[in-house]
Parts: sequence; structure tokens; C-alpha cells
Amino acid sequence: MLRKSTLLLLVLLLVASVFVPATLAEEPIKITVLNYFDLTAPGAEREINEVWYEFSVRNPHIIVEREDLFLEPFHQKTEAYAAADKLPDVVFMWPGGRSTSLHTLGLVKDLRPLLGDDAKYYQEAVLAPQAGGYLAELPQTMTSSHALYVNVPLLESLGLSVPETYEELVAMVPVLKANGLDTILMGAQDDWVIQSCLFSMIVGRLVGDEKLYEILRGEAKFTDPEFVGALEFYAQLYEDGVLNRKIMQTSYAEVNGLFATGRAPFLVDGDWKVSNFLTDLTTGEALIPVDKQPEFKMTIFPAIPGEINKASSSGVVGVGFGMNAKIPAGSAKEAAAWELIKWLQGPEVQKMRLETAGTIPSRIDVTSDNIEPLVVERIRYYEDILVTTEVLDNAFEGEVYTPINIGLQEIGLGFATPMEVAQRTQEAFDAWFARQ
Amino acid sequence: MKRVVQWWTEERRAYLLLVLPAVAVYWAVMAFPTVFSFILSLTNYNGGPIFGNSNIQLVGFRHYLRMFNDQYFWISLKNNGLIMAVSVFGQIPLGFLFAYVIHRKLVKFGDFFQTIVYLPCVISTIIVGRLWQSFFSPYGPFTEFMQKIQPGWENELFYDPKMAIVPVLFVILWMYTGTYMIMFLANLQKIDPALIEAARIDGATEWQVLLRIMLPSLSGVIVTACILAISGSLKSFDLLYAMTGGNPARRTSVLSLYMWDNAFRHAPNYPLANAISVFMVLVSFILILLVRFTEAKFGGRED
Repeated sequence: MLRKSTLLLLVLLLVASVFVPATLAEEPIKITVLNYFDLTAPGAEREINEVWYEFSVRNPHIIVEREDLFLEPFHQKTEAYAAADKLPDVVFMWPGGRSTSLHTLGLVKDLRPLLGDDAKYYQEAVLAPQAGGYLAELPQTMTSSHALYVNVPLLESLGLSVPETYEELVAMVPVLKANGLDTILMGAQDDWVIQSCLFSMIVGRLVGDEKLYEILRGEAKFTDPEFVGALEFYAQLYEDGVLNRKIMQTSYAEVNGLFATGRAPFLVDGDWKVSNFLTDLTTGEALIPVDKQPEFKMTIFPAIPGEINKASSSGVVGVGFGMNAKIPAGSAKEAAAWELIKWLQGPEVQKMRLETAGTIPSRIDVTSDNIEPLVVERIRYYEDILVTTEVLDNAFEGEVYTPINIGLQEIGLGFATPMEVAQRTQEAFDAWFARQ
Repeated sequence: MKRVVQWWTEERRAYLLLVLPAVAVYWAVMAFPTVFSFILSLTNYNGGPIFGNSNIQLVGFRHYLRMFNDQYFWISLKNNGLIMAVSVFGQIPLGFLFAYVIHRKLVKFGDFFQTIVYLPCVISTIIVGRLWQSFFSPYGPFTEFMQKIQPGWENELFYDPKMAIVPVLFVILWMYTGTYMIMFLANLQKIDPALIEAARIDGATEWQVLLRIMLPSLSGVIVTACILAISGSLKSFDLLYAMTGGNPARRTSVLSLYMWDNAFRHAPNYPLANAISVFMVLVSFILILLVRFTEAKFGGRED
């Protein structure tokens, strides 16, 4: 009898050892992610290992299916997903601009309730309501869409120094031209670049956010003298030789090498461009080697005649990840998606982004002593900015800023006048406004 | 009952068995999307679910009117016309010329030249686009080469609205001529050599052999090549997307890029994008019918 009961117990234990772990173990949860990722950036390998692989190691019960895209293909895929109502569970987003429809159509959740007490770890400004009036994505950084990168030794070799005013910049043009150099480089073959990285700053200086908000409310027009004046100043950049039409034939990637090899002393781009010049860990090489990086300076465009905002730059509270609104509240999937978003904006990841791309952390508890000189310069660069103004593609819907994007190229090529572009933009705005 | 039995013959069953799968696939991936695209082009659909969406309403031909009133539509259409012209009057004659020269052994190392001409076809279009974009860049090899010849030369190829598409046309000619060469070469090899030999014995010149034997024998192939060239020209997208993205200022855009811009770039307008695609289908049909008509009237002397 004893033998029988022992045998029974052993059989039960054997059965339990086979079935119990399987039933008690957590069911793997699959999370789909649309990630904005430049695979050619020097810090790409660290991101794959330290962000995505590390998350899968720490959370074996969460299976992440990630889709990496960059620049236009990313935005186009996002729109396609949104149109098809098949948004991934976690999606990289802007606080407005190209992601506006995700906010305003309520395709992503309000993350504030999920954030709870963890809000104390973030700078207050980054948790402000976004385009849809709620916290649709948890920002990982602050972003300045305009920066003037300066090759200081190249300037000094020609007896020039960093210009303080637009007049000083114009005075440099003949000297640079005589030495076979361009003045300002931009990779503006894609039409968003001029609007985002240069013209938004000009509008901030000459028009100001208040006027933009008046336009947005229908109380002012793009054809008003202030906005047309900003377009006219932009047109003048070509007349003065500060900008060359070559920028519209230069791709966004090509310009990195051109600036690093001294084809011009200035480059206008967003502050994120820094990451393209840093050391690539896989090769140990950098477009601008670490020992040369202190020779490069980041600043803002010099003072523009008639500006109403001094030392301003255009910028947005940064990008981050949002969560598909269709995920049921309180579900295991929501918990898994939030775990991923928390990790992506957590201290380890923000520290890595600071070291690889000089991304200004949105958390208050992130620092590092392992950063390259250009990253230090990117942090210092924010001291030059007294006022941060709107980026046009963040303030307006795509339907409205598209005529500006195309129009800026047309002005540069001499195909359209500033007033014509202003009128076309106003027509697009009127059509959009009428539907609101 | 008897009539039904007669209709449902073994022959008919076999016929349906063979034809229905192809018809079903064709309907699913070609005909239905085309019809559905036309319906969407008449609505105000702006994303989200299509079926059961009560916000979708018919708005008539509003999007077609907007399309015809948009200057970028006409720029794109003109560029498509130029690409078509280069394809039909550039790629096909050149492809035939290369095929003829190689087939008739008018040059040595025919296999080598065949490989050289066909090589661009086996390279990814995106890579080809990027390579040529770098080549024509104001800081690229083309500019440097021209500056060696003429110091101070400025690369303004893309700034003149009439010239901006020219580098793209050159690349299209370079890239796809090999396809037509292979097509013609394969068909030239099917012509009975005895026929050509007999003509030569009878005193025909090379020119007469070409005009009286070769070209008539290939009229069907030429029509096929024209249809491929026309449809290929209308759907050309990848090379332009990689090389110029339709810029500067949309001056190198084509209808497919224009459609893409309206569907996915900046300000999605799906009905307008569908209207553009319907227009492209209609243009394709008309042009292919035109080619068919031309072939029926002037070609078809193979017999």
C-alpha cells in the first residue's frame, strides 16, 4: 500500500513537473513596433544591442517585432498604417507635425495616466499636452530643428570669424567664393529640409509665434506683410550668395561628407545632425574625428535685420513613442507595451542616446562622462538660444505646410515669388480651415 | 434538364477548371482594385476603416477637377510623356540596333557588348538611382569632369525646369535599353538564316535585308516592346524616387510619384491619389489601343 501511494505520488510529481511550469509561465506577449532608426548612424549598433536586445533579455515574456524605417519612408509607412487602421502597438512619433493625424484622430493613447508618479523623473516642459491636447508620446529629448554648424579652422584660415550679424555673413561670401568655397551647405534635395531647418527659424525671428497662432485661428493671413517679409528675406539669401541653388541638388546624406571635408565653413541642419559626425563603434571611424571635433562649433543663424525675436531657434519638445489606442486598457498587452515605452525612455537608454547622438535627455536623472566633444558642444549650443519658436510642420497640418515646402524650393530656383507662395499657402490653409 | 446536362459537358468543365483560377486571380489583384480605386476617387474617404464607415460620402468628380487644376499634375504628365518618348523612340530603336549589330556579327566580341549593354538591368534600381544622383551631384564626378573642360562651370542641370528631367531620361535610356536588346536578339535568332542567305545571294544589300526581312518579321515583337515601354513609362517610380524624389520643386516628378506624394507624403489625400491612378490606367489603355491600331494598320507582315 505504501509502495502504491509512493508510486502514485511520484507519478503525480512527474506529471506536475511536465505541465505546471507550462501553465504557470507567462504567455509570451507580442508587441509590434514602428521605429524611426537611421541604420547608417554611427551609434546604430549600440542602439540595437543596448536598447532592443537588452530589452528582450530583461523581458523574455515580451516578443518585440520591430520595423525600422528612416526619413520619408517612415512617415509614409506611418500614414499608410493609420489609413488602413492597422497602427503597430508602439509607434515612434513627433509631438505634432508629421504625426499630427495620430494625435488628432486619437489613434494613440494618453500616456499620462500610465506615467503616474514616474512623471517626477521628467522635465516638466516635455510632459506638456501635444497636438491632440494630451500626452500622446513620451518625449525622449528636446529638439532644435535649426543649428548653424561652423568649421572654425576653415573660417580662420581665411581670416574670418563666426558672424554675429547677417551683414557680416554676407560680407564673407566674396572671400569664400574667391577660395572656391560655398558659404552654407544644406542637404535640401528633400523639400522638408529648408522649411524645417532654416525657414522656420526665419519665421520665428521675423514673424513670431503669436502671429502664427493668429494665422492658425484664422485671425491673420500668410499673405500679411510679416510672413511675406520672411519669404522675401529667404529669397534674399540666394541673391546675396549666402545660399546656393546647389543645396536643392544635394541629398540629405551627401551633405555630411561635404561639410566634414571642408566644402563650406557653414552647415545648416537640425541639432540631430551631430550624430552623423560621431565615431562609429563598428569601424572606430568618424566623419569628424574626436581630436578634430573641438574645432567645430554649433550656434544659431546670425542676427537678421528687423528680427523681433533675438537669438531664437525653431524647435519642438522631442520625439518619443506612443501606444496604439486600440490596446485594451488594463490588458497584459497594455502592460507589455508600457514596459517597452518606459524602457525606451528610461535612464539607461537616454544615457546611451546622449553618448551616441548627443540627444538632450528629457529625464532629469541622466548624465554621462563618456561623450564626444561634439556632443558636449550640442549641449552647450542650447545656451545660445534665448527663444525657441515653432517649427512650421509642427504648427500646421501637412496640407498647409506642403505648399511652403515646395514653394521654398521654387523661390530658390526662381520659379515663384514670395507673394505667390504666400497666396498658395493661404489658399491651402483656407481649404483646411473651412473643414474644421 | 436535358439542356443543363448538355451545357455541363466535360469540355466545358475542363475549360472552366483551367480558366477560372486565372480569372479569379486577375479579378482579385487587377480588376477589383482598379474598379475599387475608381469608386474611392469619387468619395471623401480620408483614412480609417473603409467598410462600414458612415463618414464616407460620394463627392462626384471633385478630385479629378482638382487634379486637372494642379500645375504639378501637368508637370508630372509632361515628364511621363518625355519618359515614354525616350522609351519608345530611344530604348526600342537602340535596343534593336544593338541586337541587330550583334546578331549579324557586324562587330567583334558580340557577347562582351551584349553583357555590357544588359548589365544595368541586373543592378537594383535604387542603387542605380543613388549612384547617378551622386554622379550628377553639384559636387560629383560629372561636375568635376565638366570643370576640367571648362573651369568655373556650374552644374545647373536640375535648376532649369526644361532641363531638370534630362539627366533622368539619360539614366532611363542607359538602364533599360538592354532589356529590349535581349528581347530583339532572342527573336532575331528565330529568323531562318537561309532566308537571309537567299536574299544576299539574290543581291540584297544589308539595308534591304534589314528593311524587307528583319523588321517585318519582328513587327509583333516591336508592338510588344512598345506596350512594355508605355506601361513601364507610366509606372516609372523607383528610379526617380531614388534619384531625385521628384525634386527640385517637383520638377522631375511623374504621375506615379505625384500619386505617391498625394497618398503618403505630408498631406495624405487618398481620393485624389486614387483619381490619379485611375487616370494612369485610362492613359495606359488608350496608348496601348493606339499601338494595337498602328500595328494592325502598318505592321503584321510576318507572313
